Order: sequence, then C-alpha cells, then structure tokens
Amino acid sequence: MHGKDPMVVLKTEYSRGGRNSATVRMKLKSLIANFNTEVVFKADDKMDQIVLEKKDCTYSYFADPMYVWMDTEFNQYEVENENMGDSLNYLEDGMTAEVVFYDGKAISVELPTSVVREITWTEPAVKGDTSGKVLKPAKIATGFDISVPIFVAQGDKVEIDTRTAEYRKRV
Amino acid sequence: MSLLTKSLLSTHSHWAIFCRVVDNHGDLGVCWRLATQLAKRHKQVTLYVDEVSALQWMAPEGCDGVKVLAWPDNNELISQYAAADVVIEAFGCDLPQIYQAAMAAWHKAPVWINLEYFSAEDTALRNHGLPSPVMSGPAKGMTKWFYYPSLTEDSGGVMGGLSALTTSGMTNISLKISLFCYEPASLGLWLQQLNDLPQDVVISVTAGRATQAVRQALQGWSEPQRFSIQELPYLSHPAFDAMLAAQDLNLVRGEDSLIRAIWAGKAFLWHIYRQDDGAHHAKLAAFLKATHAPEVVVQAHLAWNAEQPTPLPLLTPSHMAEWTHWAVALRNRLGTQTDLLTRLESFAAAQG
Repeated sequence: MHGKDPMVVLKTEYSRGGRNSATVRMKLKSLIANFNTEVVFKADDKMDQIVLEKKDCTYSYFADPMYVWMDTEFNQYEVENENMGDSLNYLEDGMTAEVVFYDGKAISVELPTSVVREITWTEPAVKGDTSGKVLKPAKIATGFDISVPIFVAQGDKVEIDTRTAEYRKRV
Repeated sequence: MSLLTKSLLSTHSHWAIFCRVVDNHGDLGVCWRLATQLAKRHKQVTLYVDEVSALQWMAPEGCDGVKVLAWPDNNELISQYAAADVVIEAFGCDLPQIYQAAMAAWHKAPVWINLEYFSAEDTALRNHGLPSPVMSGPAKGMTKWFYYPSLTEDSGGVMGGLSALTTSGMTNISLKISLFCYEPASLGLWLQQLNDLPQDVVISVTAGRATQAVRQALQGWSEPQRFSIQELPYLSHPAFDAMLAAQDLNLVRGEDSLIRAIWAGKAFLWHIYRQDDGAHHAKLAAFLKATHAPEVVVQAHLAWNAEQPTPLPLLTPSHMAEWTHWAVALRNRLGTQTDLLTRLESFAAAQG
C-alpha cells in the first residue's frame, strides 16, 4: 500500500549505497487509480505487505495487450502488458511463475528467483579466465541484455538471478 | 524560484541533523560542516550525535547557532523535542523511534531528508530527489526524501566553502604530500617509489589509521629513507583545509576529505571506503569517468584501491602536471555550480 492506494511494483532497481547499505528504487502503478509513481526505499525498510493470492501458472500466449497464463486447472488469467514488469525480460512459452491477484484480478507476475535461458548472442568465447569476474555483453531470446563471463558461448544455457539480472552459472 | 519557495526558504529556520558515528569520522565531518554552514545562513541547528568525542578536535570551538545533543533515548518524552522544519537523517542512520513519534505529533510535519553518501553513479542520480514513503513505525504515513550529493547540476551538489586559500604551486625542490588513508595494500610499494624519486619528499600523515599504516609499512625498512614523515595531530576542519592547500598531492579517504581535496585544487588520490562485496570499485569507476580522469589518474586510483600491492604511476613532472590539471579542472567545474547547501535549502523548500 502507498498511502491508501494498493500499488503493484512494475520495476525495481537495486543499488549499493555507501558503507554496505543498499537501496531499492521502485516504479509503482496504482491498482485502482490511473497513476504511476517512483519511490525509493532502503533495502531494510519495513513495510506492510498486502496479503495477496498467488497461483502457480504457466505462460500460454500473448493476446495484445494481455499476457495469458494458465493454472493447473486450465483456468486462464490475463495480465496487462504494463503489469508484467521484469518478467517480460525472461518470457518464454511454457515458463512457470506465480500470478498475483488483488481482489480477484490478476495484477502481476512473480518470477522464480532464477531462470535458465539460452544465450542467443554474445561475442566469441575466450578461454583462460575462469574466475567469472571478467564479463562481456550477451542477449537471451527476448533481447534482454545480460553480462556473462567471457568463456560463455552462444547457445550455452545459463542460470540468471531474476532479482538482479546477474549471471549465476553456466548450466 | 517561486514566491512560495522563497517564503519557505525563510521559514525553514530550525534544522535537526542526525548522525551516527559508525567507524572513522567522515560522517560526522560532513554533518558538522553542514551544521556550521546552515548556522552561517542564520538557521538554528540541532545536531544529534551518538558519539561526540571527535568534535573535540574537529571543532574545539564549536559554532554559534549549532547545538550538539546526545542521541535521543527512546525512554524520554516526545514533548521535549522541539519541532524542526527540516530533519536530516544522515547516511540512512535511522531516526530514533522516540524522535519519529515526536515528528508525527508536531503540528506541522517537517521536511524529512535522507542525506545519502556522495556518489557519481547513475543509480544515485536516478534516486536523487525521490520520495520514500514511511510504511512502518511511529512515523508511518510520513514521507522522507532521498538526497544524493554528486557532481552534476541535477544532483544534490557538493558542499562548498573553501576555508583556506590555495597556496603556490609545485616546486622542484621538494614534493609535499599529505596522506589520509585507511590501510592500502599498495602503501609499502608506494613509499618505496617515493624513496626512489630524485627530489626530496615530505609526507604529512594524518593521525589515526594513516599513521598506524605508515608505521606498519616502515617496519623492517632496510634501506636509507630519503623521504621524511611528519605525523600530524588530529586537525580541526580549517586546519585540515589549510594543510591540503599547502601540498602538491593529497591522498584522501572517505567523502568529506575528498570534497575538501577537490576544493584545494591540488592533485589528489582517493582511497574509497571498502565495501564487502566490492561495490566500491563501481563507485570509484563512476567517479573517475564522471570527472574525465586521464589515464595516469585512473591507474593511480586503481592501484591505490587494489586488494593486492600494485605499483602506482611514477610521480614524474609530466604526470604531476597532468594530474594537477585534472584536479584544477574539476574544482573549476564545481565552482560554476551552486553548492549543496543552496540546493538542499531549495529542495527542502520545494517539499513544503
């Protein structure tokens, strides 16, 4: 809740501050009024979360402007394009995620903390540095940019932390 | 500036600043400078600090208009906290619960600002000026604002106020260097490099960790020591500024001294506060990029902030000239901008 408005978090950006602190910038959209806003929190700020219903679903198809998800009982739920947030970066047919509901309406999608995706483009792999600290740009099928170690090649499957968009490991 | 903003500027007369001393003295140094600069602009300032001992040497004479009080005790009465117009929560120190309760009870809510650490990173610029709804605790429902000091016109700016004039430039007779650092891995190597320079080198080492680090590095020094070391006492702010202005090269750490070194207009080298996950490397890189640092300055900073002993670029006349040119250009660039305090006052006025 933001004041009296239930809000859905469309986008988050986590950043490290000074002296080991961290902040989270959020782009919020009101669920009942027509406005967006941006706010920032310290990473350890406490807030009341609305208890929302969540269901495990799989992604079915895109019916502009809605993304359609299906639960285990074949019920379909439409999530607005604008409310898909970061899940659009990792979207692929049949992927699983939690669809979040407010007052019976599907309002957003929560990704698992990590996903495995194929690298569809990157510069040629370079052997040698195995530390994983030297990075190069890469893309996955959605066109989303991530940074991967230089030994990763096109076609490799990698595990990505969906909270930070960081490479975790080659699978 | 609107008439309303001008009006609010003049009515925001009582500022409260909260500061926790975690380690070192930089946070308190920034807060003290902010407090004194506000007082010079005729604000009534209350500085709440959990550990005041450093102020005895940092500001032995205090400052008219600045009242220093102990960190509030949560067992006290909220009625004893006079309403402030602006409350500065320095560096995310978390205001005590009792003070939050007091703020919530005041007739008019203060403008509550989280003064963040200086950063040249893009994320800091994106976060600057954003609201942060308070969603728990006694002040639930209030809003605080994130404020980021940085180098650009659309950021929070940097603290101004050069309290010492820049003295004359380098001579070839001796190289004067100040050293205010943590425990850089490259210190021993760097002292060896200084020892090999053709000219005399005088190193003024600040009290505390820098002195201990130098003494540690010189243990077992086997060859004739050509440079001289002056161990300094703890210095007040004006004395520190004067010391910086008298050097050819200033090695500084943290943020308060970084800004002072910039204003001194001499070559400087920043030992950034080390963070456990290496996040400081990105901050340093952002600073070097934002200041258009030449290669010699970049390599010096990378070496000085490296985890392993790494040689720094040699202090040749051409390197020093390039280094000094960079520092002077940065100072001149910041000199054309409004200072942090002016921007902070305007920001606070704009929030009501």
